[in-house]
Amino acid sequence: MSLLNKIKSMDRNSNLYTFLYASGMVIVVAMLLAIASTALKPAQNKNIETEKKIDILRSIGKTDGIDEAKNKHKFVAEAFQKYIPEQLVVNINGDTIKGLEAFNIDMKVELSKPLEQRNLPLYVAKLDDGSIKYIIPLRGRGLWGPIWGYLALNSDLKTIYGATFAHQGETPGLGAEIATPEFQKQFRGKTIFEGDSILTFTSVKVVKGGASPDDTHGVDAISGGTITSKGLEKMLSDCLEPYQNYFEKIHKSL
Amino acid sequence: MSEIKEKEPLFSAKNLKLLTEPIDSKNPVTVLVLGICSALAVTVKLKPAIVMAISVIVVTAFSNLIISLIRKSIPNRIRIIVQLVVIASLVILVDQILKAYVYDVSKQLSVFVGLIITNCIIMGRLEAFALGNKPWPSFLDGIGNGLGYGLILVIVAFFRELLGSGTILGLRVIPLEWYVKNGGFYENNGMMILPPMALITVGIIIWIQRSRNRKLIEE
Amino acid sequence: MEHLINIFVKSIFIDNMVFAYFLGMCSYLAVSKTVKTSVGLGFAVIFVMAITVPVNYLMNKYLLLPGALKWLDPEFASLDLSFLSFIMFIAVIASMVQLVEMIVEKFSPSLYSSLGIFLPLIAVNCAILGGSLFMQEREYKTLAEATVFGVGSGVGWFLAIVSIAAIRERLKYSDIPKPLRGLGIAFILTGLMGIAFMTFMGIKL
Repeated sequence: MSLLNKIKSMDRNSNLYTFLYASGMVIVVAMLLAIASTALKPAQNKNIETEKKIDILRSIGKTDGIDEAKNKHKFVAEAFQKYIPEQLVVNINGDTIKGLEAFNIDMKVELSKPLEQRNLPLYVAKLDDGSIKYIIPLRGRGLWGPIWGYLALNSDLKTIYGATFAHQGETPGLGAEIATPEFQKQFRGKTIFEGDSILTFTSVKVVKGGASPDDTHGVDAISGGTITSKGLEKMLSDCLEPYQNYFEKIHKSL
Repeated sequence: MSEIKEKEPLFSAKNLKLLTEPIDSKNPVTVLVLGICSALAVTVKLKPAIVMAISVIVVTAFSNLIISLIRKSIPNRIRIIVQLVVIASLVILVDQILKAYVYDVSKQLSVFVGLIITNCIIMGRLEAFALGNKPWPSFLDGIGNGLGYGLILVIVAFFRELLGSGTILGLRVIPLEWYVKNGGFYENNGMMILPPMALITVGIIIWIQRSRNRKLIEE
Repeated sequence: MEHLINIFVKSIFIDNMVFAYFLGMCSYLAVSKTVKTSVGLGFAVIFVMAITVPVNYLMNKYLLLPGALKWLDPEFASLDLSFLSFIMFIAVIASMVQLVEMIVEKFSPSLYSSLGIFLPLIAVNCAILGGSLFMQEREYKTLAEATVFGVGSGVGWFLAIVSIAAIRERLKYSDIPKPLRGLGIAFILTGLMGIAFMTFMGIKL
C-alpha cells in the first residue's frame, strides 16, 4: 500500500511516473482484453461454425426455415446432420484420408500447400428423395479479398446441382453480385466435364457479355465486376480439378 | 424524464441539459462537425445503423466515465495515448461482444466498428469535457453526444432504407403491388442505396435544422 | 504488375476513401476552406498512409494473425492475437505520426512549417486507420500490394480534399439559401462529387 501511496505522491510530469503509468495501463488493458476475448471465443466460434453449415446447406437449397428458427444454432445443426450424413477427406490421387474431419479443414491453409499434400474435403448430401449430391468447398480471391463458396454436384459427378458464393468485401452492386441468388441460379445444370465421360475436366467459364444458352460450361459474367468474375472462374477450376481422380474412382465403382 | 428530475438530484436541470443539448442545438454531427467519418457507410439499412448507434453511445459514455475517473492521475505528456488506449479497448470489447451475439450485424459493420476509435466525437468529448469534469456529468455528456450522433444516423438510415428498399428494419412498408414490375406505379430509388446519398441526406437534415434554429446559421 | 496498377487505380477512383467510404470526413470538412491548406494536409495524409499501411501489414502478418508468431517459436503456432489489431494499429499510427513529425522537423524545417500543424490531426483521421483496417480485411497477399493500396488511398483522399477546397473557394460568391451555407452545402457537394466519382465504376479493370 505504501508503494501505491508513494507513486500517488509523485510528480505527474516526471519521466518515472509516466513510465510506470504507461506500463501499468498496458498490463491492465492487456489482461482485461485477454479475459474478454477468451470468454467470448466459444460463442464466436459457434457463430462461425453455424454460418459454414448454412453455406453448405444453401448449395443444396436446404435453408428454408433457418431465419424463423428460434434456436438457430440447434436448427442448423439438426438440418446439417439430416442432410449431410457423410463427410470425407481425399487427396489428389483420389485416396481417402482417414482420421481427418472435412468440416474442420481450413481451406485457406490447404490452398497454400502444394497440390500433392493438400487435403480435399468433400461432403456427401442425401436429399429427401434419396438422391446423393457431392458438395465441394471452394475458396479463391476476388478483387478486394477472399471469396468462397460451395458447389453441389449431382450423383453423376458432372452436372452441377447448386452453387453458393460469398465474399468479404467486393464492391456492392458489382463484384458483390456473386452472392445473389440470381447469379448463383445460373450454375444449375452446367457441367464440369466434357461429353458423357468424366475424363476431360472443363471448368465452368464466366463469359463476359453473356453466355449462349446452349453453352453447358458457361455462365454470364457480372458487368463491371470483371476481376471478381475472373477470380471466381479461377477458384472453380483450381478447387474442382484436384477431385478428378477421386471422381473417376467412384465412377468406376458405380 | 421530468418526474425523475424532481425526485433525483442526479438529474438536476444542469445535468439534464448535458443529455439533451447534444441532440439538437449542440449536435455533434450537424453543428460541431464531429464524427461523420466512420458511420455513414452503415446507413443503407436501419438495423446496422441502430447497432452502430448503440455501440457508439456505449463507447462515448464509458470512455468519458473512465477518463473522468482517472483524469487527475493521467500524465499530461501521454494524455492522447492514454485516451486512445481507453477508447480502443472499449471498441475491442464492443466488437468482440457483437461478434459473439449479433454475428450477422457485425459482419455488415465489418471495419466500421473498428473505426469508432477514430470517431472524432469520442476524442473530442474526452478532451473538451471528461478531462475537466466529474464522472457523473461526464457519463451523461457521453450518452447525450452518443444519442445526438445516433439520432442523425437513424434518421439517415430510415430514409435510405424506406426509399431505397421500400422496407423498414427489413419489414415491407411499401406494398409489393405498387411496384412497376407487378403492374403498379412505384419503383425503388436505387440512388438512395449508393453512398453519396447519405451525405446529401445529412446536408438536407442540416438545412432543415438550421431553418428552424436560425442561431446556428454560419457567417 | 498489372494487378498492382489495378489496385492503385481502384483505390484512388472507385473505392475513394471519402466518396465511397466517408473516411477522414472530420478533417476533410474542417480544413477544406482554402486550397493551400488542403494541399498541405493532403500530402501529409499520403505520406502517413504510405508508411502506416505497410507497417501495419507487417504487424498483422508477423504478430497478430492466428499462427503469426510461429517465427518466434513453433509453440506459438496456435496463438491468435487478432483481437488486439485495433489497439495495435492505432498505436502504430500514433507513434508513426510522432516519428514522422520528429524526422521532418529535424531534416526539413521548411516542410515542417507547412506540414507540421497537420500531423497531429492525422492520428485521429479515420482514413488512416481505415486504410489499415481495409488492408487487413481484404487480405492483401504481399507487402507491395499493401503499399500500393496505402499510397493509392492517400492519393484518393488528397484528390478529394483539394477539389472540394477549390469548389468551396468559389462558393463564397454564390447565392446559397442561408441555412444551407457552410456545412450544409459542403455535405451536399461532397455527395454530388461522390456521384460523379461513381462513374469511374464503369471502367473495366
